[in-house]
Amino acid sequence: MSRTSYSATSSAPLSVWDAINPVRMLGELSETRYWMYVLLLPSALLITAVVLYPTLYGMQMSFREMRLNRPDLGTDWVGSKHYARMLADPIFWVSLRNTAVWATSSIVLEFVIGLIAALALNRNLPGTKMLAVVILLPYFLPNVVAGHMWALMLDPRLGVINDVLVRLGWLDSYKAWFADPATAMAAAIVVETWHSFPFFTLLIMAGLKSIPSDLYKAADIDGAGPLAQLRLITLPMLKTIIAAAVILRVIGLVNSPDLLLILTSGGPGRSTQVLSLYAFQMAYKDFNFGYAGALSVVMFVLLMGFAYIYIRLAKVNQD
Amino acid sequence: MAQTRSGSKLIWDIAAYAVLILLAFICIFPILWTLLTSVKVEEDIVTREMVYLPTRFTFEWYVRLWNQSGYPALVINSLITTSVTVLICLLTGTIASYAFARFHFPGRTQLMLGYLVVRMFPAVLMIIPLFVVMQQVGLLDSSVGLAVAYTSFLLPLFVWMLKGFFDAAPKELESAARIDGSTRIGAMLGIVIPIARNGLVATCLFVAIAAWNEYLFALMLTTSQGSRTWPVGLQLMVGEFQLPWGMLAAGGMISILPVVVLFAIVQRVMVAGITTGAVKG
Repeated sequence: MSRTSYSATSSAPLSVWDAINPVRMLGELSETRYWMYVLLLPSALLITAVVLYPTLYGMQMSFREMRLNRPDLGTDWVGSKHYARMLADPIFWVSLRNTAVWATSSIVLEFVIGLIAALALNRNLPGTKMLAVVILLPYFLPNVVAGHMWALMLDPRLGVINDVLVRLGWLDSYKAWFADPATAMAAAIVVETWHSFPFFTLLIMAGLKSIPSDLYKAADIDGAGPLAQLRLITLPMLKTIIAAAVILRVIGLVNSPDLLLILTSGGPGRSTQVLSLYAFQMAYKDFNFGYAGALSVVMFVLLMGFAYIYIRLAKVNQD
Repeated sequence: MAQTRSGSKLIWDIAAYAVLILLAFICIFPILWTLLTSVKVEEDIVTREMVYLPTRFTFEWYVRLWNQSGYPALVINSLITTSVTVLICLLTGTIASYAFARFHFPGRTQLMLGYLVVRMFPAVLMIIPLFVVMQQVGLLDSSVGLAVAYTSFLLPLFVWMLKGFFDAAPKELESAARIDGSTRIGAMLGIVIPIARNGLVATCLFVAIAAWNEYLFALMLTTSQGSRTWPVGLQLMVGEFQLPWGMLAAGGMISILPVVVLFAIVQRVMVAGITTGAVKG
């Protein structure tokens, strides 16, 4: 890649080859003021094709009859039929409640554990670099494998966690965690927390590096203890990054049914049925694309509403 | 006074070590236990008395997985899908990221925000129409179609993460090259991208790991052995056999091996990239 091949300032007379040389033409194009738009065009077209178009298509689908296994019904407009059905659908309401429980509990646990890990790692003690690699690792593991690992450890007959708890005397006999409606959601939240708390650790660690150390020195002189420093310096300084992390995680938790699909498929009963899982199953198992579209539109609107209110609140506090 | 301060520092240091060792244990234990299960013999897995330290080891599960379950085909499909995803991101995302990092132009902020907001769109809301669209254009159940679908959430991520690395690359060398008569595209390809190559590699690997791990899109958009990826294949095994824990564990270990190795090698640059992208976002 020699520099001369891209040179736009050659003074030699133009030959025919020069006129059609693609390298030279690109070089000249890059000197125009539309160059950045040229650079942005491919990705913008791609995102339009795979995100914007499908999303709009999905939204209009939610007002249509669309059952892939019942072509006889056609694909007529049905107005708000699917939305009306949703209001009267008890599974929708259960899913909505479960989504709230699932997202809130996971967020709280992930944030608290992620914060503690980040604060401990930020002390830069010798040997903790290796521990950091291990602690961040779960976030990069696939849902499918994370789910299987924990399903194996919590298995009602062969689960090592059951064995340890029985040996410690905390449990009388092996428990089928995912088969009991009372514990299935809690067990799933434990797996989710294990998988995603490192996300908070990652972001909070980065945030901690940007806090000037003078603030802590001044607090030391004023006699503020570590807990007071955490409350008065660290958390306020991390407010923006925590807000960003919470929003990204809530989106992930509400949107992705992967882990629950692998662990419980929404069961037993409906005890771990969440909105995203319900919408996915409505499309994947029942082929009712219209209703599934309506469910995901509602999910999208709820998420947007949450993000809007949350950002507003975070900003109001800043002033 | 100084003594009590260093005394309290010591206590907090010990507490930090305790917390980190405990968390590291919790993080690594499921992985080690799965590794252990994958080399246990059947009688040591399905047993009344839990076997913590097996005395017999076997590679039978790996051999059976590789020979009987069509796993090699699944891995190859995953490799193809992952490569195509990275390639698409690399070709379209690198230049977009460079444009955001180096130029100020009307619509820049809105467009960058747009790239951020598309990450909020529910996967389910996109998967269902994507299924219909892919069917219409004949890309359903193909590795290329799946890779294109992956770019819907990985391309915006790629652009944002890489922008952090481009921002960090000094502008002076580029200006010097321009003064020497290099065109903008010449400076971009010859100067800026080589400087940011560590970040480029880390960003590509992050996208590769995400594509390699993805489950939901793959479940919906692949229907046959021809394009099915390993997470879907592994999950299907649960239904096919009576909880084949040894094989599931072996499959899990093989599949996460590349992730663990890559993460260990590039984690520092990658972590920096994820966080700068998020901090600025």
